[in-house]
Amino acid sequence: MLQGALAGLAAGGLYAVLAVCLTLMSRLVRVVNFAQSATGMFGCYVAVWLSVDVGLPTWAATVVGIVLGCGLSALLGWIISTWLAEADIGTRSAVTVAVLLLLISLSFILFGNKPQPFHPILDGPAFEVNGVVVSQVTVVTVVLSVVVALGCRALLSGTSFGLQLRALSERPTTAELMGIPAKPLAVGVWAATGLLSTLVISIVAPSQSNDATSLSMLVVPAAAAALLGGFRRLDLAVVGGLVLGMAQGALAQVDSLSVVRYFLPFLVVVGLLLWSQRKEVWDVAR
Amino acid sequence: MRSVAVAAAVTLVAAGCADGGSSGSGGGSGPIVVGSVNALSGAATFPESSAAAKAVFDAANASGGVGGRQIQYKALDDKGDPAAAAAAAREIVGADGAVALVGSSSLLECEINNKYYEQQKILSISGIGVDPACFNSPNISPANVGPYHDMTLTLLYGSETLKLDNICALLEIAGNTLPSYQAAIDEWTKITGKKLTYMDATVPYGGSDYTSYIVKARQAGCKAITVNPVEPDSIGQLKAAAAQGWNDVTWLLLTSVYSENYAKAVSNAGAGIYVPAEFYPFTDADAAQNKEWRELMTKNNIPLTSFSQGGYLAAKYFLQVVKGISGDINRESVTKALQEMQPISDPMVGTPYVFGKGKTHHDNTAGWPIKLMSGTNKWELAEQDWLRIPKN
Repeated sequence: MLQGALAGLAAGGLYAVLAVCLTLMSRLVRVVNFAQSATGMFGCYVAVWLSVDVGLPTWAATVVGIVLGCGLSALLGWIISTWLAEADIGTRSAVTVAVLLLLISLSFILFGNKPQPFHPILDGPAFEVNGVVVSQVTVVTVVLSVVVALGCRALLSGTSFGLQLRALSERPTTAELMGIPAKPLAVGVWAATGLLSTLVISIVAPSQSNDATSLSMLVVPAAAAALLGGFRRLDLAVVGGLVLGMAQGALAQVDSLSVVRYFLPFLVVVGLLLWSQRKEVWDVAR
Repeated sequence: MRSVAVAAAVTLVAAGCADGGSSGSGGGSGPIVVGSVNALSGAATFPESSAAAKAVFDAANASGGVGGRQIQYKALDDKGDPAAAAAAAREIVGADGAVALVGSSSLLECEINNKYYEQQKILSISGIGVDPACFNSPNISPANVGPYHDMTLTLLYGSETLKLDNICALLEIAGNTLPSYQAAIDEWTKITGKKLTYMDATVPYGGSDYTSYIVKARQAGCKAITVNPVEPDSIGQLKAAAAQGWNDVTWLLLTSVYSENYAKAVSNAGAGIYVPAEFYPFTDADAAQNKEWRELMTKNNIPLTSFSQGGYLAAKYFLQVVKGISGDINRESVTKALQEMQPISDPMVGTPYVFGKGKTHHDNTAGWPIKLMSGTNKWELAEQDWLRIPKN
């Protein structure tokens, strides 16, 4: 079981980074971004195309891909903050579902539905615990998720920039009337999370199945992880991601339970929703 | 505007007239209708098989058709959806009055339609049969070996030629395929007396991270692993093994991963990937066996894959049988001719093709061993002859 859990850590780190991105988006720009991992996937695919068909070196192509993922996300943010500035979180999030489907279809049209020849940025084992190898990718994703969460927390609670962001998310209209530049800040948050998710997917994609659908659908376990922190708390989002990955890895070690591992994110979502609503009274919860 | 409408009406009437003579089962002098049901869109797509069959028929039509009649080929999409697969079969067989189905390649078409084909007394030469029903129906006889015999072959090659012990299986089971794969493994056990060290039939299709399955297999002491993967999954499994630093494992895979794209995507193949190719390996560019096929595919811009080999062969077999029919070419005479045909040998396959009157059609039992080694990014011949499942 322990070995399985360690094997699941790489996925856990990936979920954690994406969950941090989702939490940031929900807190700061009032969106549950379903296209969070799809923008990353698309950036990666363009990077692969650049390195294979155009002949750029791997690192350069990866950088271009990350910039593109960042740009795509910023563009989406600009659209939403221009036309849906006052809309509620449900409407704003619905737009991202359309973008998710659009990006999956677009990548099929542009790059076909065969696997891409990703060149690994990190490859191979880092160290060994109990006969289970912990890969370099695992180390990097786990460290990245913790660093990003800590960094964001410091930024939000310790700087005036963070204060402006928080003001924007709590009372967008009031903040704007006080002269806080709403749109540039919002687009900035979109760009930053786009950059982060493309970066982490660039690291992970070469070491796992990397067809467009499975990369884009990483948003499901990430959302389950973010839900642990109620889409508000970054620390719990990281914990949720790591625990979910480890639980999936551990379950895969038991034949009779391995079927469950693919339902696990959904089970977690349902369980957490029930738990968080446990004290609600019928008419208040409606 | 009016002239356009008139032109359209004339065209429609003309089309109606042209179609009028060939209803039912294509008797007389109209075109011979042949169809296929294919995965052209959806989760996994194989458009090459029907495209290759169409290229063969187009070439035949250009040189005068069959007995002065043109072949009208209809390749319909099943979208990977049972309802669409059923509808496509009914359109071709019922509405268009096809004489046979040729070059179909789909993940579920056989399972959905085999009973309907029996009812309608129509035969299907699939280009690529995948689901078990393709090999267990009296009315369907695919041109390919199929994943089940392919698994027996890959195990035979691993244990008998490469002399590997501790072979394990990681099976991705979709639908009702487990008993067929189990039978393929039992066949190998019966021939060699050897057993698998470990088998895991819970490996998911389209999983994102296969690390935990790989770790489990490694702990079970596997030296070689046989899998029945689709390309992206196989790449995920190889990467998971590479990330674990497990570089001395041999992969015994199936033709489903045999493509140029896959070879480009694999840098670390452990101790090697071995596949019994279901047709003569298309990556061997100068081979005489594939010359005719390669030229036709290149001329029509069809990708060189195992799927296009299957579709091409299915259409060739069909043409050869139909050209031997004396008298009217309709569903009845085509069915009779296929059931009574003489075996057709082709250098692209190791077993001569015969449809025949069997209750099942699973007689293609030869694959050509090929390998993909770490760092080469290209498939190479592993042997100089077909590997066959021994007749017991």
